[in-house]
Formats: sequence, structure tokens, C-alpha cells
Amino acid sequence: MISALCLTLALVQATEPPHPSTGIAIERAVAEQLDLGVGDTVRLGAAPESLPHLAVVSAIYEPRPDPAEVSRRSLRVRLHLPDLAAVLGAPDRVDRFGVGLLPGVTPDSAAAVLNRSAFGFRAHPSATIASESSQTFKVVSRFHRAIAVITIVASAVFLLCIMLLKVEERRLDAAVMRFVGVRRRTIFGALVLEAALIAVLGSALGAGLAFLAGAATNAYYREFFDTELIFSLITPRIVLFSVCLSLLLGVAAGALAAWRLVRTRPMALWGRA
Amino acid sequence: MTGLGWGVKSLGRHPLRTALSLAGIAVASAMLLDMVMLSGGIEKSFSDLLLARGYQIRLTPKGTLPFDTEASIGGASHAVRTIRADSGVEAAGAVLGTSIYGRAHDSLVTLFGYGIQPEAQGIYQVTAGADLAPGDTLGVLLSETAAQLLGAAPGDTVTLVGRLDPQMADAAVGRRLAVRGEVRWIYDYRGQPSVGTVLPVMQRLGRDAAEDRASLLLVKVADGAAVEDVAARLRERFPHLEVSSVADLVVQAKRRLVYFTQLSYVLGGMSLIVAVLLVGTLLTITVNERLGEIATLRAIGVSRGTIVRQVFAEGTALTVLGAGFGIVLGLATAEYLDAILTSFPGLPASFSFFVPRADTLGLAALVLLVTGSLAGLYPAWLASRAPIAATLRAEAT
Repeated sequence: MISALCLTLALVQATEPPHPSTGIAIERAVAEQLDLGVGDTVRLGAAPESLPHLAVVSAIYEPRPDPAEVSRRSLRVRLHLPDLAAVLGAPDRVDRFGVGLLPGVTPDSAAAVLNRSAFGFRAHPSATIASESSQTFKVVSRFHRAIAVITIVASAVFLLCIMLLKVEERRLDAAVMRFVGVRRRTIFGALVLEAALIAVLGSALGAGLAFLAGAATNAYYREFFDTELIFSLITPRIVLFSVCLSLLLGVAAGALAAWRLVRTRPMALWGRA
Repeated sequence: MTGLGWGVKSLGRHPLRTALSLAGIAVASAMLLDMVMLSGGIEKSFSDLLLARGYQIRLTPKGTLPFDTEASIGGASHAVRTIRADSGVEAAGAVLGTSIYGRAHDSLVTLFGYGIQPEAQGIYQVTAGADLAPGDTLGVLLSETAAQLLGAAPGDTVTLVGRLDPQMADAAVGRRLAVRGEVRWIYDYRGQPSVGTVLPVMQRLGRDAAEDRASLLLVKVADGAAVEDVAARLRERFPHLEVSSVADLVVQAKRRLVYFTQLSYVLGGMSLIVAVLLVGTLLTITVNERLGEIATLRAIGVSRGTIVRQVFAEGTALTVLGAGFGIVLGLATAEYLDAILTSFPGLPASFSFFVPRADTLGLAALVLLVTGSLAGLYPAWLASRAPIAATLRAEAT
């Protein structure tokens, strides 16, 4: 049975000896903020003006990193269910039950059976709850994707512009090559190859910068939120996608600029048209 | 020809290059605009939301924010009377939020119930029908969604029940109430089925009324009284409650949404860098291409200052034109991004992340214009330092 009574617990240090059976586990952040250690006694209550219960800190635990809680910074303690119910004055009440199923029974069918006779409660398969509770992250993920699209568009335009300028810088070289009889196709190929090389080098530099930025992001936010969560994750798939995209854009931009260059008359390239 | 005219004409010589640069600056400006709107939008939107009905102070259980936990305040009516006695308070009211049920045909629908004091309420606006009168224990207000779920309109009667007992398969308490009006609950998320009754009715439906509990107390400060002074007095009077002014709550909200604020700074900064790089690169290459022309101008007596002004003008023209397109693009993308972020579960429907503010937008425009123009500094220096004789000789060969 799981209890998740989400009422605020008021907690202060006490000096009186506690009732021997009341133990409390506190998370590390609580221990640090209130300067508590194992064996210390605390007063508990459902409201700051009423703290009638005494408890002994029996454990300090590190909570599992939870992205849903990272910005809330709630301070949590754990009590045995009867102890918590006594503190809250809500005996034999819980927020939810966890139900383990026998092998072969599907969560959907079990939930349907329970819901047929449900009054005052509703049964949900864990997968449904997980999906509902991850809505926040789905929204953040959609936002990140939208920002990524805008960033890719900006980068693509920037890359196109730079490639165009880079190739146009080679007008005189192209003119000379055309004067000495080098074929248009060769010049075109050389310029596209150069664009591809620049794109690959730029991508490698970009990937390096991304790793550095990712490491800095993780270091900053882990410190900021006091958590072990990973905030920036650069996978090989992401690197491969970025390199391929920039290579594709670089080659396309180089080809466009080179095509314009080789179509221009050599004298015009030389500036004497 | 003026510097600006020369700059614009120069940009027209390479239409594809200029178009691409403008597109790049436009996208970067759009991103900058969006991020500026995001950085200030959370604060503005949340502040507007909290002040929608003019209540500047909230009292909640110690260590909590309004409706953040199920914790509640005992002896609410007495606390409200005490607050109303303060000379700096114009109005004060209690609000209880709890989960209740409504009967719709043969089934029960889950509703969010507000217990309010109609004479001092700061959480809804009547959209149809009438408001509850103080002490109206037979009336109820419905949100649009609740009205649809219950199939009720102003003038109809609905049945609300509370404290369901799974063992007895019955509700511990039920009330038949007349729908007085349809309202928009200011802090509801999209599609939230909410109903409101006077506080004692909701206390009975939701929990034990004997303790006279409320989720929060709202306080409107009288004209001429300082909000912080009243808040300080209330903190002294109610040491076991959290007394928060709108400014305090905005700080809390910003702390929770700090990720978006910081993201906006990072992406805004990157957009600015992209715009500056684009302008700088384009101008540098343009100046290099036109060194001969610049040397000729210098040879016929055009001063270095004039050349520098012309290059600056070109950079400014590029920035202004690109930013102009960027504003249109940025407003469109802000609407799209806002639609994504406001779909956060549990977020008030009237909350917005991307809010245009004249001061921040003006500052962003100024920064973009200044940095875009300054991006022409290096190319302008190159142009002014071009050796006249050597350049002309090189051009002639």
C-alpha cells in the first residue's frame, strides 16, 4: 500500500524524548537545511501552530532524481503510514493504492474490473498514469523541437550566406582557371568539394562546442537545482544528424554558389565585362 | 549621395547575397524578439493574472503557495474578520479549493469546487447569469466546462455531492443548488470543470465544516495604503501563515520557471551573435570586393570619415531591414511557441509566456541596432585604411 498524503508537514527540532516507535526518514536537503542528523528529535504537525508529535530521525536518504520535482524544490520526509495518519489526524485514509497483479493479468483488464464496482475511487493502469504525468515533459520537448527548427532555419540561412560569400571570393581564381582552359565541371566540382570540406570542419568544430556547452549546462543546472539529473544529453544520433544536415546544407549552398559562378563569363568574373 | 543611400544602393548590387543576409538577420531578430518576450513575459503575465481582480496580498498555510498543496487554514472566518479590521485593507475574502462531484444523469462527474465569499472574491468573473449574493447557500456558479458536463445553465438545478464513501457506496453529503450564473475562474486551466458556492456550503461538501478551513485568504489593499506595509502588519499578526504580496509570488513563479528565463537569455544572446556575424561577414567581404572603388573615391578627395559612414550606413540598413522582417516573423513564431508552452498541464488558461512589453522590446531593438551597426566597425576600418596607390595599381593590372 502506498501513501502519498500531500499535506504540508510542519517540522521543527525538539528537545524532549520522543515516543520510541515514531521514526522519520528525512531527505538530505532537509537534513542540510535544518542541520539534522540521525538520532535527532523533531516535532511534527499538520500546521505550524500545532506540532504535537515527536519523532526521531532514523534515516537520511538521497531522493531519486525526479525531473517533475526539480523546480519545485519541495522538502520531503517519510513516515510509516500509521504515523503519518496520526500526525494528519486522518486515520485509515490514503491517497492511492498500488496493486500488484498476478502473472497473466493485464493492467487494463484489472482496472476495468475495479472500475466496474468503483465508488469514490478510480483505477488506472500505471502506464496511463506515467503518460499523464509526463505531459509536462512532452510540452517541454515540443517547445525544444520548435526552437530547434527555428535554430536550424537560422543556421541554414547563415550557412547558405557564408558559402555564397566564400565561393564568390573565388571569382578571380575561377576566371583564371577558365582562361587556362579548365572545364566548368571541374571548377564546379572543386568548389563543391571545398564547400563540403568547410561544412565538415565546421560541423566537427560545432560538435566540439556542443559537447562543451552541454557539459557546462549540466554542471550549472546540477549545481543550481542540487540534483544528479542530466539536462543536456548529446547522443551519437544527434551528432550524426547535425553533421549530415550541415554537410547537406553546406554542399547545397556551395553547389548553388558554384553554379552561379561557372555560368558567369570569365571576363565578367575578371571584372572586365 | 547620402551614406544611407550609398549603402542601400551597394546592397542592391548583389540581390541574392543581400536577400540571404536579410533572411538570416530576420530569423535571428525573430528569435531575439521571441526570447525577449519570453524573458519578461512570465513576470508580466503572472503579475497581470494575480492582479486581475485587484487583490494584492495572499495568505496561505506557512511554507506553501496558493493551491500548491492540500494544506489549509483553520478558523478562516475569524482570520478574515481580523484582516478586514486593518485600516489599510479595503476587502478580504477566503477561498477554499476542494474536490467534489456532481450528478449528471446516472453518473458522477469529478469537479473542482471553490468555496468563496461573494462580497470579497478575486478569482472569477461572471460571464452569464448573476453572481452569488453574500450568504446565498442555495446557489452555485459553474464554469463553462462544468455547465457542459452537468448539462446545466443559469436557472437550472444541479446536485453536488462530496466525501464519497467507497465502503457504503454513497456520498456523505449532497446538496441541490440553483445555478445562478456561469463564470470564468481566473486561475483555472483550460477545460477545468469548476463550480463555486459560498464558503460554508463548500466546506460541508469538501470536508469537516466545523474547522472553518480555507485554502487561502485574499486581501485588497485600500487606496493610499502601501501593499508592503499592510503585508508586514499581516505577517506580524499571522506568524503561522505565509503572507505573500504579488511581487513575492512573481518571484516564486520566476524561480520555478527559471529554466525558461535562462533559456531566453542564452538563445537571445546567440541570436544577437548570429546577426552580428552575418552583418560583419557580409560587410567585410563587400569592402574587400570594393577596395578599388573605395581607393578611387579616396583618390578624388572623399574623406576617410565619409567612407566609414558609408560602410556603417550599409550595416545599419541591413540590420534595420532584417529586423523589420524579423518583427513580423517573431510575432508569428511567438504565437506558435506560446501555444505550445501554454498547453502545460495545470497552467491557468489566461497565462501567457510570450508577452510583448514596450520597454523590453525597445531595449532589444536598440541593442540589435547598435550591435548590428557596430558589426560594421571592422569592415569600416578596413575600408578607411586601404592604401590608395597600391590598391589602384593592383586594380589596373
